[in-house]
Amino acid sequence: MRIETSDVVIGVMVVMLGLLGLTAAAHAHDDEMYVFGLALAGFAGAFVIGQIRRHYDRAEAARRALRAEGTAP
Amino acid sequence: MNDAAGAALQTAVEPYNEAVVRKFTIAAVFWAVVAFAVGVYIASELAWPALNFGLPWLNFGRLRPVHTSAAIFAFGGSALLGTSMYVVQRTCKARLFGGDALADFIFWGYQFFIVMAALSYVMGFSKSREYAEPEWHIDLWLALVWVLYAVVFVGTLLKRREPHIYVANWFYLAFILTIAVLHIGNNLGVPVSAYGAKSYSLFSGAQDALIQWWYGHNAVGFFLTAGFLGMMYYFIPKAANRPIYSYRLSVVHFWSLIFLYIWAGPHHLHWTALPDWAQTLGMVFSIMLWMPSWGGMINGLMTLSGAWDKLRTDPGLRFSVTAVGFYGMSTFEGPVMSIRTVNALSHYTDWTIGHVHSGALGWVAFISFGAIYYLVPVLWRRNGLYSVRLCAWHYWISTLGIVLYIVSMWVAGIMEGLMWRAYDANGFLQYSFVESVVAVHPFFVIRMLGGLLFLTGALLMAYNLIMTVRSPRTAPAPERLSAGMVAVAAGG
Repeated sequence: MRIETSDVVIGVMVVMLGLLGLTAAAHAHDDEMYVFGLALAGFAGAFVIGQIRRHYDRAEAARRALRAEGTAP
Repeated sequence: MNDAAGAALQTAVEPYNEAVVRKFTIAAVFWAVVAFAVGVYIASELAWPALNFGLPWLNFGRLRPVHTSAAIFAFGGSALLGTSMYVVQRTCKARLFGGDALADFIFWGYQFFIVMAALSYVMGFSKSREYAEPEWHIDLWLALVWVLYAVVFVGTLLKRREPHIYVANWFYLAFILTIAVLHIGNNLGVPVSAYGAKSYSLFSGAQDALIQWWYGHNAVGFFLTAGFLGMMYYFIPKAANRPIYSYRLSVVHFWSLIFLYIWAGPHHLHWTALPDWAQTLGMVFSIMLWMPSWGGMINGLMTLSGAWDKLRTDPGLRFSVTAVGFYGMSTFEGPVMSIRTVNALSHYTDWTIGHVHSGALGWVAFISFGAIYYLVPVLWRRNGLYSVRLCAWHYWISTLGIVLYIVSMWVAGIMEGLMWRAYDANGFLQYSFVESVVAVHPFFVIRMLGGLLFLTGALLMAYNLIMTVRSPRTAPAPERLSAGMVAVAAGG
């Protein structure tokens, strides 16, 4: 199953942002930056997991479509 | 992946990315209910201040930006981003540029911005700039999401398979580009620390105020007007099944509105340290805005020519058309209030709040409701709404709510203005501030009741839309290319 270029670019960007969030939380001078940093890391993790889920959803949909057309390998 | 599987994958997806539009539509309905509920609560706090229970996070000062951000950016923004992505794909006959992952990031990134902003307000963090309250790190996040949104929108326009760019896209494009410039310009600042939330504005004094209201008024002009005009120019003709009354007028409307709006901000700073000439400039451009605003209103209303009967049977279209009426009314009232002598009476009073809500509820919310009632059956492949009668109830309850809201605020505001300027025979102020607060209390209660009606209508809408989505699929699925055709098109 091919992985789209945009999936990789966005995935890498979000992981970097998540790491930035962890750094911000670790050095935070106030509650707001601490909460924001942790939330950003959580957002990044959830988003990437969502990307992986959508990838397999698409693969499954493709297999189903192939079976429906009778061209499944 | 082999070509056959790749082609099959293409058949499994829709010709347009409607998944992201569906997500934004759900978000718009959700945030509408949140925004109206918080609005009713803080309206109750104004009438009965004890309702903050002495808790800092229930304080009016913290909840007020939650309400405004939820209404403008969460509800209005989700409606705008969703409809713009729907309209640009349909009118350009092209799938969204940048792939599904980018569209997903824009959706979730925008929702993350909203939640983080609201959380920071409740925690007591704010830049204290109206409609630009988030601290610098949240501003940076929004700038990233917004620039990527602009890339997707412009990229889709560039790869269009239609020679013409439909006028709705012009309005959406103005909204996207101008908001990017306004957001970045107004929020330029120097953080105290890279790891601290507080920052100092790059500007100071009257210049800072002017920059803030250059942003503030154009947030109204380009977020709450231009974007929603894009919505009007697509969804009213679609719902009425009629062409735009005058396409030429729509182009004149676009360029005149875009040119004039950007100068009107200084009218927020009448009778302040801002130089007189700048105040006059803001006033004159505000008055000139009558022409494009009413031109657009006439264009929207006259699109119904030959289809007025549909207002009796399609309450969704009734929302859209009433919205255009409110657009005309509030864009008449705004320039009147921008006249310096009128502003001397209206400024700092609840008249301004009434004016804002005639635009926010009557124009922004109603045009969004009309678009949402049109979109949900289309996006979820249903022949129609679960209940047209519930939609009609929503319309009348909300309209009554708006009337209660704006009339009570007009009365309260003019009363406040008159009481604050009243002198007795000896030249002393006739009323103390507290006396004016006591005088407007009944109108604050009426305002809260108006908001409650509007919230009730939104809950009816949410129920109606959930039941529409849960009802059996009745409309055919979108046309899909066969696996072989996709492989040929892809050169496979």
